Amino acid sequence: MRAHLQRLVAALAACASVCASAQAFAAAPVVAPEPAASAPVSLSARKVYEQARSQLVQIRTVLKGQASQTSVGSGFLVTKDGHLITNFHVVSEAALKPDRHELVSVTADGREAPVQILMIDVRHDLALLKMSGAKQPAAYDALSFRREADKLAQGERMYSLGNPLDVGFAVIEGNYNGLVERSFYPQIFFAGSLSGGMSGGPALDQEGRVIGVNVARRVDGEQVSFLVPAVFASALLARGREAPPLQGAAWPIVTAQLMEHQAALTERFIAQGWKPATHPRYTVPVPQDRFMRCWGSSEPSRTGGLDFERSDCVMDTRVFVGDFNTGTLATRHEAYDGSKLGTLRFAAQYSASFRNEGFNRLGKQHQTKPQCHEDYVDRNGLVLRAVVCLRAYKKLPQLYDLSVLVTTLDQPQAGVQGRFDVQGVSYPNALKLSQHYLDAYAWVKAP
Amino acid sequence: MNTLAVLEVLDRDGSVRHVVPVREWPLRVGRALDNDLVLDDAYTAAHHFSVAPDDQGQLQLTVGDSLNGLQVDTQRLAAGARTPVGGNSAAMLVAGRTHLRLRLASHVLPPEQPLGVTRVLTQDLPTLALLAVAAALTQVFSIWLDSDPDTFVRALGSVSVSALTMALGWAGVWTLLSKVFTRLSHFGWHLRVLLIAVLAWEALTAGMSLLAFAFSWPWLTDFGFVIDFVIFSAVLYFHLQAVEPHHPRRTLGFALASLVLGVGVSAWRNVQSSDRLGEELYMNHLFPPALRVARPVDTTQFLQGVAALQATLDEKAKEDAAD
Repeated sequence: MRAHLQRLVAALAACASVCASAQAFAAAPVVAPEPAASAPVSLSARKVYEQARSQLVQIRTVLKGQASQTSVGSGFLVTKDGHLITNFHVVSEAALKPDRHELVSVTADGREAPVQILMIDVRHDLALLKMSGAKQPAAYDALSFRREADKLAQGERMYSLGNPLDVGFAVIEGNYNGLVERSFYPQIFFAGSLSGGMSGGPALDQEGRVIGVNVARRVDGEQVSFLVPAVFASALLARGREAPPLQGAAWPIVTAQLMEHQAALTERFIAQGWKPATHPRYTVPVPQDRFMRCWGSSEPSRTGGLDFERSDCVMDTRVFVGDFNTGTLATRHEAYDGSKLGTLRFAAQYSASFRNEGFNRLGKQHQTKPQCHEDYVDRNGLVLRAVVCLRAYKKLPQLYDLSVLVTTLDQPQAGVQGRFDVQGVSYPNALKLSQHYLDAYAWVKAP
Repeated sequence: MNTLAVLEVLDRDGSVRHVVPVREWPLRVGRALDNDLVLDDAYTAAHHFSVAPDDQGQLQLTVGDSLNGLQVDTQRLAAGARTPVGGNSAAMLVAGRTHLRLRLASHVLPPEQPLGVTRVLTQDLPTLALLAVAAALTQVFSIWLDSDPDTFVRALGSVSVSALTMALGWAGVWTLLSKVFTRLSHFGWHLRVLLIAVLAWEALTAGMSLLAFAFSWPWLTDFGFVIDFVIFSAVLYFHLQAVEPHHPRRTLGFALASLVLGVGVSAWRNVQSSDRLGEELYMNHLFPPALRVARPVDTTQFLQGVAALQATLDEKAKEDAAD
């Protein structure tokens, strides 16, 4: 089974690209601003930027004792006391490796001040920070959030602010395009050009109220960018306003939030059920695409061999936790027809296809080696070979990656092979999801 | 005058390089020119040893003024030592780096050997041809199995050329080694060893895969690499028999050591890469469904097996996190 690498790469890049790092600078020519981004800024954009300029900061992650930055992002002030909102991925190094990294905010007029993390929200990729400088409380200008009840219309102008690629503060004009479809958590689809380094910056309406927080973009498209809706940022502010600064590495908090995420994911995934009529002979589990996208292809053999059809279902949403992503799930299956091959040759090729499955997504610094259980499983007369492999996360106790492989064994010259992957799930839910997936296999009607 | 004895100078492969007939005692051997046998060996003394009868008429070997001494059969003698020689069979002597054999007229000759009985392994042309045909057929079958109908002929062409080249190359290298060390080529022997190994390997791996599938025994193919090394060591042993025929024990020891080392290193590498001794994470040999014998379990029972993995995973996650 082969993966659609192009889409995967695009999705991964989307998550990481907005957080400008050394790599982003190296890649700068590739993500050079599109013509639309350099179009003349309208009067209202000038007004919005002038109003928001003093509330805008760049957030630098700096190596302790070395004073060189490891990554840069943006952020904005939301209270007079110096509370800041940014993305979790902008501050992840400082949150997860606090012994080596610290955060510095830099205002548009170049004043630097240390900041501390009060609270994080890895599910929505947000962080609440606070200025820890000597400035008096109630001395900061702050942006206000647009009320949720004030619905925006598609096509409405909006302005995304930040410091792209550490070049300088910028305002990018674009359009509101509603929420991203089939996203697990709500995200705003912003038709504008976000660049690395703008992560965590605010996206404002014409009145200068915060609609969302810059978070990601698609590298395989033009002006397809994403914002975290303001409601999650204001909720984080309400929760963490009086919280003390984070002490030590934030792994326990990340783990607890991933636990909530996987509980919600498992519940919604099981509740949505499977699509009907996925194969003429079997009920093959293909999820409903409420928060997943399924791509299919038909690949007849050009050398008179094995014909197959495949389906890949993936989630766009994944949770960034420092060095890796997790919290997503995917299903895949291939339906083989080997009538042109005969029984023995079909068995050989079916076997080869079953063989080339990997389980080494993350390195050994993050996860244990896989542990597998396998057997023949009976599904009301349909016999399957099932393999379940799990890997435990080392820094996220009681969270696991689950992979289930299934191959049907009832026809000598045809069959279906499926794979189900879940990342960052608790053990009880791993079992529940395995059962849910295995139980979905059956004959449409007993032969 | 009767020949009382012969002293033979042996080559490294045990064949006789030079024969010195002895018509009168004493027999003197060493580097000096007044010896009966003059050795060209820097590790021997001017008068290394001599053989002469004593007062009772018993032949005695006396070691001369030698730094390295002399080895007589398994016995090591220092300078000045004496030992009776005679007995019923030839004495093997090692002086410095020179191997010698002393045969006396009184020795009992071993019976004449029939021609061509050494190193059998079904040694005649028809069986060799049969082995070659069988090995070729298994290769054709496996190419057929792994190819599509439209690509079979092309695959057959390219794979059979490379297989033939490799087989001849392999047998050829061993033949060269045989020729160097025994002066005989033994090509037929080496080809036999290779063909039998190919057949054995195909039969064993196919058989084990089938058993693993039929009875749901993943461990069988998980440790399939052991079979690879067993066959490799056996191949090494039989090839070496035609290269070093005089040291069967050393050859056997070498083959066994390579088996132990190969299995050990593979298992160690598996542990490094996957935390387990075996090489297959899961059984992945599928055969036609009719060949399955093991009974399937229901999902509930299957998931009990999955649940049992948690303890191991948690333990490994914890011990690694502690690192």
